[in-house]
Amino acid sequence: MAVETVQNEKEKIKVSPQGWLALVIMLCMFSGFFANMEGPLQFLRVLDLNTLIGSFGTIGDTGANFMGSGGAGARDGFMFALSLAPGCIFSMGLIEVFSKMGVMEAFQKVFTPILRPLLGLPGSCGLAFVNSLNGSDIAAVLTKELYDNGQITDDERTIFVSFMYPGSAPIGNMISTQAAVLPIAVMAMGPMILLVIFCKLVGANIVRLIVMRGKKKNAEVAK
Amino acid sequence: MSAETSKKPAKVGMIETFLSGAKKGWGIAINTIMPAMVLGYVLVQVFNVTGVMDVLGNICGPIMGVFGLPGEAITVLISAFFAKAAGAATAFNLYQTGVITAAQATICVMPSMLMGTLVGHYARIVLVTETNKKYTLLMFLIPLFDAALGMILMRLILTAMGLM
Repeated sequence: MAVETVQNEKEKIKVSPQGWLALVIMLCMFSGFFANMEGPLQFLRVLDLNTLIGSFGTIGDTGANFMGSGGAGARDGFMFALSLAPGCIFSMGLIEVFSKMGVMEAFQKVFTPILRPLLGLPGSCGLAFVNSLNGSDIAAVLTKELYDNGQITDDERTIFVSFMYPGSAPIGNMISTQAAVLPIAVMAMGPMILLVIFCKLVGANIVRLIVMRGKKKNAEVAK
Repeated sequence: MSAETSKKPAKVGMIETFLSGAKKGWGIAINTIMPAMVLGYVLVQVFNVTGVMDVLGNICGPIMGVFGLPGEAITVLISAFFAKAAGAATAFNLYQTGVITAAQATICVMPSMLMGTLVGHYARIVLVTETNKKYTLLMFLIPLFDAALGMILMRLILTAMGLM
């Protein structure tokens, strides 16, 4: 990616109304806010991801679904993974639609101005930052390009990577890899993702402090 | 990246978009999650059959106690290290067998995410970005710190909400 295009993206991130709509719907679905709606507003449960994913039927009066009960080992793991596939298929389809509607641009618009206070990074990292929330590989390549193009320093890259590496792709990975625990978790997915991102930010800021100190020391030695 | 996608000549409808994403979801479920689940469940089986689980439970009790978890929950951390989904699988397995409660399983989500798949992602993120080699050790320590922080914060939040 050329330096110019990155700068262009930094200056004018266009978010379509669709993009904002996608952001709002996505936040509703992940927050679990509408999970237990009752009474006349019951229909709003359609905005809850877990409601849409639904549940398996039970076999006989055992209360157990097709996985049965009392399994163990690789076979039980296989059956369990199979039971997670529907949620994974649906969620990934949904995210693809949100992405097409422009949800990533909306996220970028929100996050780019606050990257400096949050992580000490320039706004040009916005695209990579937002990409890193939902996947690892594109963000990693974008970060390397940012450095190669001279848009971030070596230290800034270190800070950025220390944000991306732990709990990589918090949105995508929470939906897919944590699918096993989500149904029994006592907290909705949205707040858990926020907590993960918060911890990532704290960790990256520790690296930020360490890197800054190293810089100071080097400067003193140079004097 | 976004510029490239928006330049695509043919219009792709919402249905096709959804279906192509859903197809990716199937790939993730079968190719990523399933192998990790099998690994997680087999690890738990190995720990159970050999009796290592009880030993780990006793040794790690005090450490895990800081995070509001029983000693056996160390197995979640061990399997999370290999794969995030394996950590989740182990946590669910412990919940099913009554070793941990639903609230404790929620705490386990934090390490499963924050210190999950460390080796695999070291290559995919730290090496791909060509991060300065002098910070290699730091890059490994930060996920562990984040995971500990996540567990403590989650414990505090759940306690404050009266869920633990």
